[in-house]
Amino acid sequence: MKLSSFLLRSLATAALFTVVASCSENLDSSGACPILCPAVGGDVQNITLDAVVFDTTVNSLSGLGSESSLILASRGDTLDTRIIIRFDSLPATFVPANQPSTDITTVDSAFIQLKLDTLAIKGAGPYDIDAFDVDTTASDTSSAAILALFRPDRLISTQHLVRADLKDTVKVYISNDVVLAKIQAGARLRVGFQVRSATSTQLRIGSAEGGVPPLLSFRATPDTTTHPLIVNPVSTTPSADKIAASHLTDYTVIAKGPPPAPAGALAVGGFPPRRVYIRFDIPANIVDSTTVVRATLLLNQISNPLLDPTDTVFILPQLVLAGPAVTDPAKAAQVVADISSDTAKVRPGDAGLTSIEMARAFGIWRTQKPDTLPRAIILKSLKEGDTPLEVRFSSVRDVSTALRPRLRISYTSRVPLRIP
Amino acid sequence: MRKLFVAIAVAAISSRAEGQGALSLQGLGYPTGELSARAEGTGGGVADFDALSLVSPASISAVGSPALFFQYSPEFRRVTVGSNTAKTTTARFPMIAGVLPMGQNWTLGLSSSTFLDRSGETSLVRQLPVGAPTELVNVTERNKVLGAINDARLALAWAPTSALRIGFGAHVFSGSNRITFSQVFPDSSKYVSTTQSGRMSFAGFAGSLGLEYRPSSVLGFALSGRKGGDLRAQSGDTAIGSGRLPDHYSASATYEGIPGATISARVAHDAWSSLGTLSSSGTKAFDGWDTGVGAEVTGPRIMQRIIVVRGGARIRTLPFGFNGEKVNEKSFVGGLGIPLTRDRASFDFAVQRASRTAGAGVKETGYILSFGLRVSP
Repeated sequence: MKLSSFLLRSLATAALFTVVASCSENLDSSGACPILCPAVGGDVQNITLDAVVFDTTVNSLSGLGSESSLILASRGDTLDTRIIIRFDSLPATFVPANQPSTDITTVDSAFIQLKLDTLAIKGAGPYDIDAFDVDTTASDTSSAAILALFRPDRLISTQHLVRADLKDTVKVYISNDVVLAKIQAGARLRVGFQVRSATSTQLRIGSAEGGVPPLLSFRATPDTTTHPLIVNPVSTTPSADKIAASHLTDYTVIAKGPPPAPAGALAVGGFPPRRVYIRFDIPANIVDSTTVVRATLLLNQISNPLLDPTDTVFILPQLVLAGPAVTDPAKAAQVVADISSDTAKVRPGDAGLTSIEMARAFGIWRTQKPDTLPRAIILKSLKEGDTPLEVRFSSVRDVSTALRPRLRISYTSRVPLRIP
Repeated sequence: MRKLFVAIAVAAISSRAEGQGALSLQGLGYPTGELSARAEGTGGGVADFDALSLVSPASISAVGSPALFFQYSPEFRRVTVGSNTAKTTTARFPMIAGVLPMGQNWTLGLSSSTFLDRSGETSLVRQLPVGAPTELVNVTERNKVLGAINDARLALAWAPTSALRIGFGAHVFSGSNRITFSQVFPDSSKYVSTTQSGRMSFAGFAGSLGLEYRPSSVLGFALSGRKGGDLRAQSGDTAIGSGRLPDHYSASATYEGIPGATISARVAHDAWSSLGTLSSSGTKAFDGWDTGVGAEVTGPRIMQRIIVVRGGARIRTLPFGFNGEKVNEKSFVGGLGIPLTRDRASFDFAVQRASRTAGAGVKETGYILSFGLRVSP
């Protein structure tokens, strides 16, 4: 190859390399800031408003049994809960190994398998778990009628457990005779559990709504080569409401609940679960003409030392989507949408200022007029219905104005895009 | 001491509302010069005689045969402020031109060139109280501007004799700046980051005249001028400013008395201050001189092609000042011209080192590579 040809090709290669290298633009000259690029945006304006015009505590109306877990508790004078599991459909026949289907005439090793949240166990044990026959023709939602059946003549069995027995899966053995009798009578097996212990005890158990239902297991023959029968919980009542019946396959009944929050205080969580509905009156010029970069609801927390005061409750703010036509706050508080993936972490026993971040609500409020979408949010426990913990706050009706809820808004104004 | 200087400088310019992260990007942006790669290679010395540069409409008569020209000019820029350095790469396509001879004496040219390029991006971290007065948050302000004002020219040149060329040009200046401004907060669960975007468009007209005279075979002179009309800026349907396109005058001379060499010099004046009324933040525009000298010599023969080697120097004042000071640019340029496919095409290459200053403390260096391809179909 001639030298001249080599030079030309080298030059062409270098030019090609340079062209390719310069095709990927990098315009960022931030290294020269701030001298060559002073701030364009203005300062963030921070204002605190007495913007809360209405607040109240409402019940979570998701329905009995809709919780994702069951609470079995015996916490002295503060909390006493039972759990009910319905097996309204029991098998009458089974298929022995290598034999045709046959009627069930014996029941052996009957137990109900419970999935336990071992991280949520309260109490060191030992524990006595009593199983009662709670089948009744009384109203499905009558707690009093159910609780009345937790009596000695309805006792099916008692299982004694120590702390070491409480694994992820717990088997509570129940009377084989009771199960057989229900099968042969074509009756429903509805079991109510109660826990007794010398210490304050609370167990969180998986439910059908949480995807881990309690299961009934028994053998219809002593022959161990035949698989045991597994029965899922089923509720056939109320027959006119399939959704309610589905929820009632397993549910928690409150025999004794914590005392309610004092009048005028707002309560989040608890048993039965409650939410706080808060409506605001925010100046239109802030919502419409500025960009809200942060909005913080400032609440005064009232100490609630009754149950696990140092445990953590995760409070989630949600946007109320119900229009002005829904005048009942309890109903409006059920029509909500998420505005935050983050939660405020509070302890029921603490007191003082609590901040709830809710800036993303303004993005939605900006697109809707107040007469279409009221400026309202709710506060709920992230584990609503799964924990009895309750957090309390001062309301807008508090006699001390300093303790009432306030809204702190941080906003920026639109920067005029102009010729420099 | 250096930190003290930086702090003082920041305080001194804190009232400025805008900035683009480089000395050359102040105001409406960087003037590319509207020169072809060949003219750039001579420091702009031959620009008034160069048919592919957008300077003198008379020069298109020199094209000889119909020609299409396309140019790519990336700039590798380095800005140094105290101990801080920013390196950027800007890909520009500053010129496209078509020239068509019509008969013996007339030539028509249609071309478009980048007039003021404002493409840039900066990111600035500010600490602001957001929420309680004690809650200081690092807010990142990102400011991105893309776009330019372009100069589209329709030129007609008349060459009654081989010694005289006269040209007229009608210019349309148009373009836009797409601006995106963001304020980014660190914790998305607590803060909402903001972004706003806008587009500013520009429109204006100008007319130009060029004259080229060669009293002998070795000497040439050229004069050209462009008279600017109104330049209007608007955002959507709203007028946001107006000014006048800068008047431009230039005079050039070439000497070809040395065999195989052309020595050229050019001096030009741009009345950039007429754009000052467009500024909403008081950025000052300065009238400035643009002076360049260069030489073009026949170089070695490679692969049976005669390579042209170019070199030059140029000094000019950029239109928009920084902190009230003029921004001056000094350039040293080298280049090559390579004929291709039996002179039916040619490739021009120039590399330019431009250093820009405006008072003490801020330095900027740009390496501009220009690749020009001319094809005669």
